[in-house]
Amino acid sequence: MTTDVQVDVDAATQQPIAAARRRRTIKPRSLLSIAYVTLVFVFLLAPLVVVIGGSFSAPENDAVVMSYVQFPPKQLTLKWYREIPPAQLRSLGLSVALALSVALAACILGVPAALGLVRGRFPGKSLIAATLRAPLQIPHVVSGIALLQLYYAFAELAGINLQATLAGLFLGHLFLATPFVIGSVAAVLVRFNRRFEEVALSLGASRWRTLWRVTLPVIMPGIFAGALYAFIVSFVDVPVAMFLAASDRTTYPVELFYAMEQDFNPSSLASASLTALLALALVVIAQRLVGLDNFLKAKSK
Amino acid sequence: MKARWGLLLIVPLCFSAILLLGSQAIFLKASLFADLGFGKTASVPDLSNYALILTDRYYAGTLWLTTYISLIVAGCCVVFGFPVANILARMRSHWVGLLLSMIVLTSFVTTVIQIVGLMIIFRADGPVNQVLLGLGLADRPFSLIGTVAGVVVGLVYASFGFAVMLMYSVAKTIPPSLEEAAAVHGASPLRIFTRVVLPLSLPGVVVGFLTVFNLSMGAFTSAALLGGGRVITLPVLIQRTMLIDVKYGMAGALAAVLLAFVVILNLMSAAVLNRFRAARMVAS
Repeated sequence: MTTDVQVDVDAATQQPIAAARRRRTIKPRSLLSIAYVTLVFVFLLAPLVVVIGGSFSAPENDAVVMSYVQFPPKQLTLKWYREIPPAQLRSLGLSVALALSVALAACILGVPAALGLVRGRFPGKSLIAATLRAPLQIPHVVSGIALLQLYYAFAELAGINLQATLAGLFLGHLFLATPFVIGSVAAVLVRFNRRFEEVALSLGASRWRTLWRVTLPVIMPGIFAGALYAFIVSFVDVPVAMFLAASDRTTYPVELFYAMEQDFNPSSLASASLTALLALALVVIAQRLVGLDNFLKAKSK
Repeated sequence: MKARWGLLLIVPLCFSAILLLGSQAIFLKASLFADLGFGKTASVPDLSNYALILTDRYYAGTLWLTTYISLIVAGCCVVFGFPVANILARMRSHWVGLLLSMIVLTSFVTTVIQIVGLMIIFRADGPVNQVLLGLGLADRPFSLIGTVAGVVVGLVYASFGFAVMLMYSVAKTIPPSLEEAAAVHGASPLRIFTRVVLPLSLPGVVVGFLTVFNLSMGAFTSAALLGGGRVITLPVLIQRTMLIDVKYGMAGALAAVLLAFVVILNLMSAAVLNRFRAARMVAS
């Protein structure tokens, strides 16, 4: 309806010929486009909607496991939220704590690395950059098995066991996450105008004060975007945690993975809905803190 | 004074080098030792694991199946995702931001949850099968679990948002005035598409295809859940060989083959991007 009106106004006021052509060619196409885009987004969002809807649905029979789930729900219940297995809640807590510490540690490693990469002048820089970026290129299954074998070798050589420990899992996720922080901070640093720092230095600020009061605030959006990526990488990972974590103390995605293979019931949908809610909160935070455009820009670098 | 910035790299580089080079060296070395069962390996290195992968029907078949599935997935993502990316890039409304953040939202949720949702939608008495059976498009319910088609659907779902984002970022750099100019000069929509839009979007399409192909070759979670033990792709086989069969040598060799595939694909994407960049088709 609204497009009709716009086209008519165009035709009456501006260029009648071009508008007529536009009316003939674009209008049916834009309707088709809208229908297509809608269809695609229904496909993209449907699984999430079904999971959240299913988590509120009361069962009609207790017989078959998967057909437990009614969508759209006929009768609403909070039963499944009360029945979330303690193991799932515990793993959810572990996942959040792990992802937070990975995000923090990835910033501590990644921000200096980005500064060094962008500003340092030394031979072999591109080789070092490739080494730091390499974890992004390796499939997670390969990283998982490679790190597991490294931990075995480490236990044999140094007597320190990292396999099936939280420390080992943390190091594995940190390995996956740090390149994201390096990438997003480096992307901001490349565009950074060094004049600001020169001004601060010439006005008598110390190097540290300049770094703290000028450089850091400017690269903050890059740090936030990188930290968010680091959090997500750790929070959604399955294969690395499957190889590195102890089976009784693992992350939420792995716990849910095993629940899917063994005793699935809608209480898993309830815990899944809680994490979907957390994801939604993170998207809103991403939008507020960095703006979606900057966030996506950081991703493509 | 200026050389000091480089010193900041020491700690992150040590961390990365130990975990990256150490782990890669160890598993590549392990891949050279044949498995003797019970987690024991031969004492003399040889290439028997690699020879087995290339000659054994099961291993070679898995490698081929994974490549075949990934090719279909990459093709589907590009063909279905390209129009979405272009429409979003040409839209001038507040909806674009919302739609993009929906794509981001799906990438923030673990694959396991997405697969649970897909399983509910595609189950025997679910909405998709009701439509398929109701319209007479299928004579028995389509099963998502344990079929190649199911794995393809899952992998397309997993990579689709990423493919759209990638092609969107390229489509955004093409000025709409070029299409308008072609239209004013009397080109038909089809001609505009084949002579203006498609050539300019080619870097996005090619890199999108290669990236999705790459992601699908290495995708573990969705392939493992949807394969249901009947359709086994390379990453699933690696995990099973390592954790269930406890064959470190073979698992290492399979992982090395996957890694080689992925590295070659990455080099190809980089080469494609560089060629287009040299032709000034992509902003550098």
